[in-house]
Amino acid sequence: MIKHHPKFELLEAFVNGDLPASLSIAITIHADMCPLCQQKILQLTEQVAEQSFEEDVISLDNLDNLDSSSHFDISIDDDLESDALFDSMISNITFSEDVAEVVKPTDKSVTFKDKTYVLPTVLSNIGFGKTANVGKLSRSRLQLNEDEIHTNLLHINAGGGVPAHTHKGFELTVLLDGSFTDHEGEYNKGDFIMLDGTFTHTPVSENGCLCYTVANDALHFTQGINKLLNPIGSFIY
Amino acid sequence: MVAIQTNLPTHVSHAKSSSMTDKIDHTQLSAWLKEVADARCKIAFTHLFKFFAPKIQRIARSKFPNEAQSHEVVQDTMSNVWRKAHLFDSDKGAATTWVYTIMRNVTFDILRKIKSNREDNLSDDIWPIAESAAAEEQPYEDHLENKQLLRVIEALPETQQEVVKGFYLMEMSQEQLANHLNLPLGTIKSRLRLALAKLKVHLGEDND
Repeated sequence: MIKHHPKFELLEAFVNGDLPASLSIAITIHADMCPLCQQKILQLTEQVAEQSFEEDVISLDNLDNLDSSSHFDISIDDDLESDALFDSMISNITFSEDVAEVVKPTDKSVTFKDKTYVLPTVLSNIGFGKTANVGKLSRSRLQLNEDEIHTNLLHINAGGGVPAHTHKGFELTVLLDGSFTDHEGEYNKGDFIMLDGTFTHTPVSENGCLCYTVANDALHFTQGINKLLNPIGSFIY
Repeated sequence: MVAIQTNLPTHVSHAKSSSMTDKIDHTQLSAWLKEVADARCKIAFTHLFKFFAPKIQRIARSKFPNEAQSHEVVQDTMSNVWRKAHLFDSDKGAATTWVYTIMRNVTFDILRKIKSNREDNLSDDIWPIAESAAAEEQPYEDHLENKQLLRVIEALPETQQEVVKGFYLMEMSQEQLANHLNLPLGTIKSRLRLALAKLKVHLGEDND
């Protein structure tokens, strides 16, 4: 049962197309498994669409109701220029008789330590780096090219875990398969877990798990001897 | 909240949608889209263009600093409307929602090209245009015929049912089904064959 969901502001930014690809993909993966969020996204999209496309109507019909600080300034010159441009766009577009074909992407699968997983469809067209292994952890980087935001598939073998750590930035985990626990409780397939820099946790996976992770800074190990593990922090990031 | 991010002027964001909603003629927009899809009607397309293009341009101007890029958004979005009109299904949502998703996807891909230097056009994977999310919940509610078919399908043994529903109603490939159900491909194929033979008997040969 999915217990952890993206918060409303994140869904909103997702619908607006304002999130980076890494986080948008995370929400798509979650929503494919979560009818609740899927429904919210549908509703939000409807609302935003309605508001986007009614703006014109408001500006013309409700001009009287707007006070003088209104930042509508409809320039007639602009409109005339657009008219010529728009007419040429229309003839360019309708000149082609082509109809778009929809090609459904074929699902990719990935193997970590003898276990093969079918990946969510949204990952079908994304390249992956070579898998790197440290102990019970394996990771493969997604080639999204988003500067300081790094996105990985992280596999924890049965009985493995990540030592207590915190972040300077954020750490997002979407559980693709299996489960893990930390002091807050158990996380299961489909859970969307967003943590920020103030949070310290020690996830352990009894039976192993596969996660989609997004972070914008290396993990920082916090406890005594574990500080020696800080290179692993960069490994996971 | 929504209003701020779509650049709706804050003055009117508190006005409630009921009165404003009536001002978009959804029936008319859907009808035009249908004419574009069925008859490649340029007049209907011109109507759609005149309705959407200025609004798309205004929204794009708020996301891109230069005019050329906002024109690119208008051009690409409306070009997709022309080429994908046959994928619009008015039962699944309003024309405004459909055009919005196209515009949002086009914008996302152009922004990604600028920021990450990637032309991987991920937007259609993140927000698939063709299938509405509602489709998965009720894949077979549309037609009377399907209801009868569904009754017959539900008389099949459980194992054959899931294969038939997955393949025909949810349009999964045999490979996807094999993965999904964790069964060998051969098993999927033989279950499908068995199920189809039974369906033919129930529905009569001329019904397929």
